[in-house]
Amino acid sequence: MIDLRLRKVLESDNTKMVLDLNLQFKKGQFITLYGESGSGKTSTLRLISGLMKPDSGHLSIGQQCWFDEDKKINLAPSKRKIGFVFQDYALFPNMTVKENLFFALSDKTDQGTIEELVQMMDLGDLQNRKPESLSGGQKQRVALARALVGKPEILLLDEPLSALDYKMRYKLQKYILKIHQRYKLTTILVSHDIGEIIKLSDLVFELENGKIARQGSPAELFGLGSTSAKFQFTGEIIQIESEDVLVIVTLLVGNDLVKVVCDKEEAKQFYLGDKVLVGSKAFNPIIKKI
Amino acid sequence: MNQFEGNIVQIHSCGQLSIVTVELLDRNKVQSIIIDTSDTAPYLVLDTPVFVLFKETEVAISPEENPKISLQNRFRGKITAIEKGELLVRLSIETAAGNLVSMISKTALTDLDLFINDWVTALVKLNEITLSPK
Repeated sequence: MIDLRLRKVLESDNTKMVLDLNLQFKKGQFITLYGESGSGKTSTLRLISGLMKPDSGHLSIGQQCWFDEDKKINLAPSKRKIGFVFQDYALFPNMTVKENLFFALSDKTDQGTIEELVQMMDLGDLQNRKPESLSGGQKQRVALARALVGKPEILLLDEPLSALDYKMRYKLQKYILKIHQRYKLTTILVSHDIGEIIKLSDLVFELENGKIARQGSPAELFGLGSTSAKFQFTGEIIQIESEDVLVIVTLLVGNDLVKVVCDKEEAKQFYLGDKVLVGSKAFNPIIKKI
Repeated sequence: MNQFEGNIVQIHSCGQLSIVTVELLDRNKVQSIIIDTSDTAPYLVLDTPVFVLFKETEVAISPEENPKISLQNRFRGKITAIEKGELLVRLSIETAAGNLVSMISKTALTDLDLFINDWVTALVKLNEITLSPK
């Protein structure tokens, strides 16, 4: 369990905002912080990472306390098992991809970690290149790999994909999901992209003026939850097949396989592994006693 | 999925059910029956912008302008593309509210004798329209 109850008064250009957070979520979850610019999302990541000191409150990750004002605990950022990825990559320009990764390695004899990450993030062909010769998507793959070198428990992603075009974003989302699952990370993402949020997250907190305004699953906050469809589930795409002039999408919903027909134009946005909402009106399904 | 934008102009509720009328941007009206009322769904308020959604496979086609049939959600438009499969046909139709797609059987296409540039009426049942607040 991650227990975060933190308060911090933020002041900038004569405006004052009180960041007053109370969030609890399970380890291993993919969390998204959503909200308008200036609502406190990035500051929340900074409080978690220790880059910003809360005025009061408590932060614990499982059994480990990272901050407690009453007990005078404030773990240094370097002691917190965190990986941080920003929108602007923040790679060292004078180092190659591999050197960038190596720099983040605390135990310099542990080459295995870097090799695994290079393979995982498909950086093999890029490892001897300098950041300036890489595309935005490639740089962000390096930044993600670097954030994982220290084997973090918590991965903080501050709008990591917002500078990339749609296609590249899509590709990077798959990498993010892959590392989240592979390393059993607790990932906290700041994002404005609702499609991205639905695809990646288990739980969304919406911030408004420094406070949690709403929280829930992406389906509840953005999805078909707000449509009139009454017969709806979330599932994962496991097969996409073109048949005749339409496309048949097979979904895993719970333990059941479900097939949904969709138009080929609509199907272009879907890929295997996507989390989706599937809904129908209550008027359509047949019901029969067994 | 076909999707059009409009505003709620009428809500007629009875018990848990409501028939909601949505006026699309071209003033064409579409109705949907849903298991919700203004009490259970906060977006059910007059003038609220909503999307109306319906599957391509739920769109019936008639060459007549005003066919005598119970389906009252109607979109008049011109066929801009016909893609033939072995069993089904995908029709792209340009209407005043925007483009829509209909899937009908190949035999229906043959029986109706439809070609590109023909004018048709696309029809959708009341219970096939899903509403989604903007």
